[in-house]
Amino acid sequence: MKSILVSAVAALALSTVAVSAKDYPSKEIQGVIQWGAGGSTDTVMRSVTPHAEKTLGGTVVMQNMTGGVGAIALNFVTGKPADGYTLLMGAENPLLYKVMGLGRKDYSDFTPIDILARGTAILVARPGLPFDDYKGMIAYIKAHPGELRIGATGPGGLPSVVTAMMNNVEGKLNVISVPYDGDGPALTALQGGAIDVMPAVLGAAIESIKAGKMKPLAIFEKQPNHLLPKVPTITSFNEAYAKYLPWGPFFGVFVKKGTPSDVVAKLSAAYKAGAETADFNKLMDGRGYTVMNISGKAAQDFLTKWQSNTTWLLQDAGLTKTSPAKFGIAKPGK
Amino acid sequence: MEHLLAFFTIFTHPQLLLLVGLGTFAGVYVGAIPGLSVTMAVSILISFTFSWDVYPALALMVGIYMGGVYGGSRTAILLNIPGAPSAIATAMDGYPMAQRGEAGTAIGVTTTMSFFGGFIGILVLALAAPSVSAFALKFQPRDYMLLAVLGILLVGSLSQGSLTKGIFAGALGIAIGAVGRDPLTFAERFTFNMPLMESGISFIAVMIGMFGVSEALLQLHHVGQPAIKQKISRIVPSWSTIRKHLPLSLQTSTIGVIIGALPGTGGDIAALMAYDHAKRVTKKPTRPFGQGAIEGLVAPETANNAAVGGAFIPMMTLGIPGDAVTAIMIGALYIHGLNPGPMLMVEQPNMFWFIVGALVMANFFMLIFGLTGIRLFTKIVAMPRPVLIPLIMLLSIVGAYAVNNSITDVYWMLGFGIFGYLMRHYGYPLGPVILGVILSRLLDDNWRRAIISDRGDLGLFFRGIFTSPLSTVLFLAVVLIFVSQTPIWRWLKARILGQGKRSVEQ
Repeated sequence: MKSILVSAVAALALSTVAVSAKDYPSKEIQGVIQWGAGGSTDTVMRSVTPHAEKTLGGTVVMQNMTGGVGAIALNFVTGKPADGYTLLMGAENPLLYKVMGLGRKDYSDFTPIDILARGTAILVARPGLPFDDYKGMIAYIKAHPGELRIGATGPGGLPSVVTAMMNNVEGKLNVISVPYDGDGPALTALQGGAIDVMPAVLGAAIESIKAGKMKPLAIFEKQPNHLLPKVPTITSFNEAYAKYLPWGPFFGVFVKKGTPSDVVAKLSAAYKAGAETADFNKLMDGRGYTVMNISGKAAQDFLTKWQSNTTWLLQDAGLTKTSPAKFGIAKPGK
Repeated sequence: MEHLLAFFTIFTHPQLLLLVGLGTFAGVYVGAIPGLSVTMAVSILISFTFSWDVYPALALMVGIYMGGVYGGSRTAILLNIPGAPSAIATAMDGYPMAQRGEAGTAIGVTTTMSFFGGFIGILVLALAAPSVSAFALKFQPRDYMLLAVLGILLVGSLSQGSLTKGIFAGALGIAIGAVGRDPLTFAERFTFNMPLMESGISFIAVMIGMFGVSEALLQLHHVGQPAIKQKISRIVPSWSTIRKHLPLSLQTSTIGVIIGALPGTGGDIAALMAYDHAKRVTKKPTRPFGQGAIEGLVAPETANNAAVGGAFIPMMTLGIPGDAVTAIMIGALYIHGLNPGPMLMVEQPNMFWFIVGALVMANFFMLIFGLTGIRLFTKIVAMPRPVLIPLIMLLSIVGAYAVNNSITDVYWMLGFGIFGYLMRHYGYPLGPVILGVILSRLLDDNWRRAIISDRGDLGLFFRGIFTSPLSTVLFLAVVLIFVSQTPIWRWLKARILGQGKRSVEQ
């Protein structure tokens, strides 16, 4: 009797798995966005997902789950079944959790669906400061130690990596680091004068730069960006930055590892189609993002390389809690 | 002239008009159900309206937003369960009115006042958006912190009876709000190493439990008593009632617009602050506050609807969201190929005037939908308790689950429901707990930002306060309101007034 019951339950369980793969999606999909509404990750996800939904033939209900440099959202998704009904819509941060001591999980617990686009970092300052470019800022910091307030989004966020680069290249800079929930609130605070300088992603700052509400100090690329051709590159001030570039935050959609491969394939195809649409490309270009649209092995390789480069950068800056070597993250160029 | 045309777009296109109406109607009912929030409705709509043109999409969203903010008051008045956080203050005097059989009057006043507040909000948006947003940007972390402290002082007016119990309840709320990973440094707080606690406790779950479930449990005491008969002779308040409350509603609308325009605060805090303001300035309320004072409805309802117009101010002028709903609308504008930011008003002034027009229309629809169907709604409270109590429980469970699709939230909600019942049983007020949860992060994050910016130096921090006129005003308000709640105030007042009298006699 018992064995019959067990096998019946097993059969039922098997049949549900089979159904979920074939008929996927048979219910609403939940998309968990790691960052707050109005931020860069939010914009990217909310613009591509409606296109992906058309190919997918299902609904993705997106929800912002902020906090803990995105780890709260990441842990939430790992707590859900690996059935493709909960997507993690994230940025680059989780690749740094382990070395920063922020969590024991990262994208190695996930399967990438699509790495959609890459952003460019830019250093912006509020108007009214006595300098207009990167060189002026460094001189100002040296002349006024411990006075300049630089915005941050917590350890592991874009500002912390950019600040690590600056500390590596220029020697330890004596500044105040003020934490915010994301680049959106920090850039608002910058316009209100609560902070002086903010390393941000180009897309989040571009409209305010064009309107003269903040001034660009340097762009973290080797070549000038066609949207802001007059903004000098960081390498034009200091060649030493070249070894870190190109670097930029990226946006990707992920599912928990162990999700059936046909579900992953279906989702990948949907997001690939979504990222190919003219609408999405126009939007990404206008906002200063470079569309990547990679999945499968290409996406996995990209993640591995990015993690190796950035964690060792932070390690060399003395910002990590644990060496990347301990987690088997290889040193770049070896 | 062109702007005028853009403003009237909404009135001349029947399809757009219909969408605003539909949105408002849906908003009123989505808002009335605890747990189904406007934010949720608008984020679902964003994917739904993707293939549409931008005007129809915005028309629908604006309608839902306006209707939803108002809808929360329905269940607050009828069942003592705020349908949305911005209706918490409404329950405090609205429900006692329903218990007296005046639910019809309460809904009538609420609707008219929401309309009034909404209108003031729109007016400020249309006429003074750039200067208000410039003012809102002036708020530094220390000002947000002072604002949160000011909010915490509302504990005094939210606790009926023992102030000590009120302070305890408020402190408990702040502690509940602090549970989980600290958003600034990622440290775990009050999590006891349980993964369950890591993401914190859902504020909506706490609210629904404390108000909904505890109310259902409390009703069990009176399960045999007949239901209250509702008289609905007069729904639309008389002109003299409106005129009498005009000064108060203008003041509370102003509070609503400003709090709504601040990028870190929304309608919930605006409504609570307005309620507190009404309690301070109203010398002779129609009835004591907490027992069904009309003023206790006028203040929060004008403020939370005025906050709608307020929230659009930083969105339209700077591309900065004023609250969660406008944040999603900014996302919608991006998707429709617009670039919300400081240049939007310059490059696309028609978009601005279209939204103003849609808001005006949504406000009118809200008035219409609010004043009709009251007879049907008040039947809810007239239901026999054996039907009503399970209904409240059902609404609470569905609402708590719907927020995050999480069964954990339902457990939290039930737990806080039982806890809330016990608190009420022993005379602890629930309002301050919710206030504490709402303000916890605002206070915590901004205090830390402020003190970090001043390199941990209290001297510099206070110099900052006294060199900024805005901070000074807020700081003085905090001190004044605090002192006015202590016996020193009465002593001082007696002395000063007493001396005044003597000098007259001499």
